[in-house]
Amino acid sequence: MIGRITQLMSTQQVLSEINQSQSALDATEQELSSGLSINQPSDNPYGASLAVSLNDNLSALNGYANNVTDGTAWTQAADSSMQGIAGAIQTAQDLVVQASNGTMSSSDLADSAAEINQIIDSVKQTANTQYNGQYIFSGSATATAPYSTAIPPSSSTTDPYGGDTGAVTREIGPGSSLQVSTGVVGGPGGGISQLLGTGQGPNGVAGDGLLLDTLRTVADDMTGTNGGTVGDLSNQLTALGSNLSTLEQMQATMGGAEDRLTLASTQIQSLQNSSTAALSNDEDANMATTMTTYSNQEAAFTAALKAGASIVQTSLMDFLSTN
Amino acid sequence: MGIPTTTGLNAALSGLEAAQAAIDTTGENISNASTPGYTEQVVNTTESAEQSIPGASNTGTVLLGTGVDISSISRIRDQFLDIQYRAQNAASNSANTTSTELQQVQAAVNEPSTDGISSALSAFWQSWGALTSNPAGQSNAAAVQGVISAGQTLVQTVNSVYAQMSIVQTQAAQQYSTLTGANGQVQQDATKIANLNQEISAASGSGQTDNALLDQRDNAIDDLSSLGQVSIITNQTNGSVTVNFGDAAKALVGGTTGTTVTWPQTLGGSENGPGGQLGALLQLMPPPPSGQGSPTGPITTMMSSLDTVASKVINAVNNAPGGLPAASPFFNTGNPNPDGSTTDIIDIATDPPMTTAALQSLTSGASGAAISAAIAGQQNGTADQSYAAFVAQVGGSVQSAQSTQSTAQSLLTAIGNQRESVSGVSLDQEMTNLTNYQQAYEASARVMNAMDSVISTLITTVGGAGI
Repeated sequence: MIGRITQLMSTQQVLSEINQSQSALDATEQELSSGLSINQPSDNPYGASLAVSLNDNLSALNGYANNVTDGTAWTQAADSSMQGIAGAIQTAQDLVVQASNGTMSSSDLADSAAEINQIIDSVKQTANTQYNGQYIFSGSATATAPYSTAIPPSSSTTDPYGGDTGAVTREIGPGSSLQVSTGVVGGPGGGISQLLGTGQGPNGVAGDGLLLDTLRTVADDMTGTNGGTVGDLSNQLTALGSNLSTLEQMQATMGGAEDRLTLASTQIQSLQNSSTAALSNDEDANMATTMTTYSNQEAAFTAALKAGASIVQTSLMDFLSTN
Repeated sequence: MGIPTTTGLNAALSGLEAAQAAIDTTGENISNASTPGYTEQVVNTTESAEQSIPGASNTGTVLLGTGVDISSISRIRDQFLDIQYRAQNAASNSANTTSTELQQVQAAVNEPSTDGISSALSAFWQSWGALTSNPAGQSNAAAVQGVISAGQTLVQTVNSVYAQMSIVQTQAAQQYSTLTGANGQVQQDATKIANLNQEISAASGSGQTDNALLDQRDNAIDDLSSLGQVSIITNQTNGSVTVNFGDAAKALVGGTTGTTVTWPQTLGGSENGPGGQLGALLQLMPPPPSGQGSPTGPITTMMSSLDTVASKVINAVNNAPGGLPAASPFFNTGNPNPDGSTTDIIDIATDPPMTTAALQSLTSGASGAAISAAIAGQQNGTADQSYAAFVAQVGGSVQSAQSTQSTAQSLLTAIGNQRESVSGVSLDQEMTNLTNYQQAYEASARVMNAMDSVISTLITTVGGAGI
């Protein structure tokens, strides 16, 4: 026997079907308006936790990308400063070559010595270059200037290095850091002191043979101070050549760091792309599918309304004759 | 002896009366077609006692029908469907409550979003990264402040999610005590049933069955079943019912005439709990007194997971290899927490992160940058993984609660439909019956007409001799 269907059953059935269609439509509408297929964790618990992880991952990648950008700016600042020092060394070499000819008058030699002193000042100022308020040539002691400009270039005294031998690094990937501070090939940080040194000993005593010492000896030789002679200038030319070669090694190291930064930037970019794609795949609504679902649900909803309207109205009473 | 002249008339009259009662009952059914809980009524008729009349000489007397008697007007109701409906009603309400409350927890967790815990956590790790890049110089102070602020935001976010979860628990406890308290719904339903029991047994004493009162009592029991499992024992003598509710030790409504209400009673002592909305609330509220409900409801479990996430964050920051010295933890967890736990981040609103000056001195320079880098490197580590697992746990609980709810709801609808199919009013059927009873009435009237005509013939023809 077929079970009885009462009017209340039909109306409740119609009502619950309309409600179901409506709530399905609501869910799809939320997907469409937010553009996300996961709007709360219960929509897809695994997907939601994956989205949390992927977002975290993306944020870490953004951090690495920032570090790369920052590191690149740092190395570029260092690079252009070192070019400035290279130019200064070449100028000093020209002056030494001219003076060592032995044809210059003592007043000309004094002028050249004054120019050398200016070069010393400019080299020290360049070494004190700051990026974002940090001294880039002070090793890791970025708050301290590597050289004090208060010590006059003409004084034959030590010109101490204010920084340290630590390295400044940038995290460019998980567990992967890159040194952006100046250093020589094969060495740790060390800052600019490997090139500039600590000046002369007191009263012209030969120092470390590094740039500041060499330049001061050049000036001494030109002016005949502290036992310097024009004849000694050829030795200083050799010393300048060796200083330049140290600088070139530093530039090469810095160039290597820049290359690694560029490479890291490309890698991070591609990781960001794949993580973003994975995230989008995980939590974004597929618009084509969602739109299709939406129009299907809309049709079902309209049908439920229409069917409801006609089923609820019909009963035997419509067909019994009234007399 | 012959047949009394009025026998046929009386028989026709009983037919008329039965048809009229049936038409009236049909009218009652149609009037109440949309009354909630109304049970279709039917007129039960039996043949009247026959009377003997003389038959042929070889057979002696024969029995002649004298019409129809209305024996009762009864409800069409299947008590087994009632039992199933009430059990499912309890299950469905339990699932409904659980799902609603857990959705509130899910809303508090607020993932995936840009202002949930995961964003705060990412921002916190990023702030350490920024500090690594600025161990000195003019951006240093801002980077240090960034770490402190991000730490505070993280703590506040975790605290607020935890507090929201705890509010949902407290609300569940309040709802429970409102429903079970004095004049709560349990007591009201029980009192209603007890009063109806009294009226029904009184009516039963005078041999009547009051269908309207029975419908009302069934409705009240249906209402009660949404709060917890009910079981009914009907007293066949006086028609009263004894109602056992949930896993309470004594009958909620008992006594010989079913008028004794025993409430309040302790629920949740059994393994399965009282069922219904109250059973769900016992699971959701904060750990209830021992012996009442489970000490680890779904929300309590989630809160302890969040606690674990928090302690992993604290551990990752305070104890990162190569990170801060043990004597200077970033998150100060030294003060005792109000809830007695020692590991959670939840209460460190009262224990603020380390001061700006302390952090600045620890993280400056190359060695400081290494410390910041060690902490920044904890991103995507165990703390973040445990949070992702927490989100999956919340989502999974809500999803399974929703699917349980939707299944329970479909079952309830199916059983409700079965019950309605038996007890509900079908207008089509009533219209068919109406036509039927109308014709029965007309036919009885025609019989009466015929009898009238017969008697009239007898009187005019036979009685004419006397005129």
